[in-house]
Amino acid sequence: MTLSPEELSAILPLLIPALGACLLPLASLDKDQATVKWIRGAMFFMALFSLAGGFFYLTRLWASGGQPSYGALHMDRLGQFAGIFVMIAAALAVLQLWDHLHQEGWVKGETLSLLLFSAVGMILFASSTNLILLFLGLELLSIPLYALTATVRMRPKGVEGGMKYFITGAVAASCFLMGSVLLYGVTGSLDLRTIGLALGSASPDPLALVGAALLLGGFLFKISAVPFHQWTPDVYEAAPHPISGFMSVGTKAVAVLALLRVLGAGVPAPGSHRIQGALAAIAILTLLLGNLAALAQTNIKRMLAYSSISHAGYILLGLVAGTRDAYVGVVFYLLAYLFMNMGAFGVLTVLGLVGDRTTFEDVKGLGWKRPDAAIAATLCLLGLAGIPPMAGFYGKYMIFKELILQQHVGMAIVGVLASLASVYYYLRLPVALFLEKPSEKAEREAAERPDYRAPFAGAALLVCGLIVVLMGVFPGTVYRGIARRVVEDAFHLAR
Amino acid sequence: VITPWINTHLLTFLVFAPFVWGAILLLLPDRQAPLAKLLAVMGAAAFLVVAVTQFMHLQADPLGQFVAERFHWFSAVGIPVEYHLSLDGLNFWLVLLTLFLVPLTMVGTWNSLPERAGKAMALFLMLESGMLGALVAQDLLLFYLFWEAMLLPMYFLIGVWGGAERRYAATKFMLFTLSGSLLWLVALLYLAGKAGSFSPAVMAQAVTVLPVQVQHLLFIAFALAFAIKVPLFPLHTWLPDAHTEAPTAGSVILAGVLLKLGSYGFIRFAIPIFPDAARHYSMHLAALSTIAIIYGALVAMMQTDIKKLVAYSSVSHMGFVMLGIASMTVIGTQGAMLQMLNHGISTGALFLLVGMIYDRAHTRRIADFGGVATKMPVFTAMFLIVTLSSIGLPLTNGFAGEFLILNGTFLSGFSWGHALACVATLGVLLSAAYMLWMVKRVFWGPANTDPESGTAHLHQDLGVREIAVMLPLLALIFWMGIHPRTFLVQSEAQVGRGLALAQAPAPRAAVIEAEVK
Repeated sequence: MTLSPEELSAILPLLIPALGACLLPLASLDKDQATVKWIRGAMFFMALFSLAGGFFYLTRLWASGGQPSYGALHMDRLGQFAGIFVMIAAALAVLQLWDHLHQEGWVKGETLSLLLFSAVGMILFASSTNLILLFLGLELLSIPLYALTATVRMRPKGVEGGMKYFITGAVAASCFLMGSVLLYGVTGSLDLRTIGLALGSASPDPLALVGAALLLGGFLFKISAVPFHQWTPDVYEAAPHPISGFMSVGTKAVAVLALLRVLGAGVPAPGSHRIQGALAAIAILTLLLGNLAALAQTNIKRMLAYSSISHAGYILLGLVAGTRDAYVGVVFYLLAYLFMNMGAFGVLTVLGLVGDRTTFEDVKGLGWKRPDAAIAATLCLLGLAGIPPMAGFYGKYMIFKELILQQHVGMAIVGVLASLASVYYYLRLPVALFLEKPSEKAEREAAERPDYRAPFAGAALLVCGLIVVLMGVFPGTVYRGIARRVVEDAFHLAR
Repeated sequence: VITPWINTHLLTFLVFAPFVWGAILLLLPDRQAPLAKLLAVMGAAAFLVVAVTQFMHLQADPLGQFVAERFHWFSAVGIPVEYHLSLDGLNFWLVLLTLFLVPLTMVGTWNSLPERAGKAMALFLMLESGMLGALVAQDLLLFYLFWEAMLLPMYFLIGVWGGAERRYAATKFMLFTLSGSLLWLVALLYLAGKAGSFSPAVMAQAVTVLPVQVQHLLFIAFALAFAIKVPLFPLHTWLPDAHTEAPTAGSVILAGVLLKLGSYGFIRFAIPIFPDAARHYSMHLAALSTIAIIYGALVAMMQTDIKKLVAYSSVSHMGFVMLGIASMTVIGTQGAMLQMLNHGISTGALFLLVGMIYDRAHTRRIADFGGVATKMPVFTAMFLIVTLSSIGLPLTNGFAGEFLILNGTFLSGFSWGHALACVATLGVLLSAAYMLWMVKRVFWGPANTDPESGTAHLHQDLGVREIAVMLPLLALIFWMGIHPRTFLVQSEAQVGRGLALAQAPAPRAAVIEAEVK
């Protein structure tokens, strides 16, 4: 079997990181690698190199306007956007991992390999229009993440978190599979477009509705929307910080993008207003629960986990508004969220927090020790809170605008009130960093620890902070140049 | 290269130069704090000089606009957002006041910040950017952005350099302001969706076809956001905390400029966009303003802390400003414009003076003082002048503003207008009571001889630096009191036009305008 050049260019974005992922474990065959610095460097370089390869390949594809496909795998704008998104997120995570794993004293090649495999799964998930391929993507992105959560084995909560994630994830995956089976049974096809057409024409079949709902459940689990959110805080707390950041942005983004594809194909057609209503209820509940629970956290990572749940709520609100402009807003939101959340998790690495020491107590006064990183993180957090002129504001602006235009003023009001609550907990980190003095115990412990500057994570954090501000100053460019094209081209293809 | 650029982009320069300068100073390490402070003051002074020299050449066009910059910025979700800055009669003096107060405050509080003073100064410059941007922004989304951008530097100024309860005060300040402005954002987006633009003029047209109830709701959302900032009773509770906990410089800027943006928002946006709704609610606003005047004064009288007393006097004074605006007469609104400047200068000066005595005595409790006049005669003289201006003695600025406001309230045509004006006049009396009582207890009488008392720690009178800071403020107090017209002439036509729409068909309207001229 030979591949045509177009088919090859459709799967190349998957092959490049996959190749890197396959080669990486070879480097860690060396038993003494923990002591050999150049091997470690080579591993990280290889991971970054394959991500950069995929990134540049995709940006060139994007610039050329080509939208190749290979069977049910569509490397259209939506797929390309997902690919670029995941490459950036993974590259930021790799940079942070170098510092974090050194701080933890647990540098292994498998970690990077798993990360790359997960990235491949994410891209596959967001770019296929066939239920089986979607499922493959879902599993390929999830299984490495289960392992990554527990990757630092001596962390007390690592294994527990990984196990929790695995079990709940398996349930979600079987939901997804069951939904696919039912849809296949009703329509006789696995192709999203065919299913959408069949559902649109046929009289509503309750089985198809159940199938669509189960499918949706699988997506909502990955987006971490209420009531499928319970795994989020435990897993984010257990995983290494860069991995938490990576899965919070990557999984959520590709799940939303794939959901856009599914909704765009008209899949939940039977009684779609019922699905819409359910989505609205879930969005509001997610918003409220995420924001209110985040208020009560003492652990920064758990706070960020609940914040990630609340952001799922905002994104779902955009899907509820359901217009094309709202979808554009969602894509913008995701891009802003990538840098804001990678920055927010990144600061934990830069400040050298390891193990369980990730409470607000542990970071008191540290802002003055690393002002550059702390300021960049503050910008990211303010962006998450939706305070202008940071990028996050415009994402919310676009979504709320469409909600209001679609006469959902009540939901918009709930949304802004929820983001008012969010300001309080996002500010708690800058408050701890700058406004509070470290306790004596913390100062004593800090003096005992070796001073580790975390150069790569620091650089990644500064990049995040800078982009969060730049996206806020030039929102129009990102809106026109990226977000609108993603939605337009993707829908063009799906219809 | 730079000078021609400034000539054509004067407002952009004034708005963003402080931010850029502040961001650069933020990079200086803490041990360079004296250098950072010096550079910050020089920068702020340079911006003032640029503004004054440039403003002198400006001529207002028939619409009252001096200079404007306008181009399309971005349009997301179909609604264009314009980068539209303009200097006109309504913001002319407020812009100058901001530019003037910032360097003055920096010099006045030169030694007040114990640590990381350079960072505080940098934040001040960023705050200046936000305030100036909000003052000159004409596009409502742009205004909103600057409005929110002001919050952060102030939040950190209070939170990092404030007093013992600083975290509570800073968070309260943040959440109060945001709760108003986020609801306002919803209203703004709704209205922008109807109007297809963020321009106030286009919005005002779009409003006329909306159902009355919707108009009222939208107006309430606008008014709530601005009233929290003013702050109007009963939304004022964040202010005493923020003022008391903020460092002196923060209090000066908070009282001097930040609060004005609320009342400015009423004059600039809320009333011109919703003239009918504004007229419908003007009576309620006037009643709340009068309550604020009396309530603020009564609570001020009961304070044991000088700074807190001044903070509550702010509530009372801003009540006057809101009363003038709520009267919806040209004369009342002009009075409010003047009173905004007055309050900026008098209360700013009071906070500076309180800061000066606090730096020496490390206490602000009234009971800790007594007989300060014998120890610090120059300070006492200056404090007294500012006190009299705050009370509104004729020939000082306070009198001119309050007189116009009360006059406007009498002429407002409310059914209760006369009664409100009478009650508000009582507020002037009360302000004399709380200020003079405080002056009596702090300055007069025999010197407090208790070695633990505040008076015992007052070893030096004001130095040259402190006197130099106070003199321009005192000069302005008299200038504005003796010849208020200097500060009124720019805004007159514009206020008149803004209100012409909203004007109830009261037969006296024409007469009032004639009187003002």
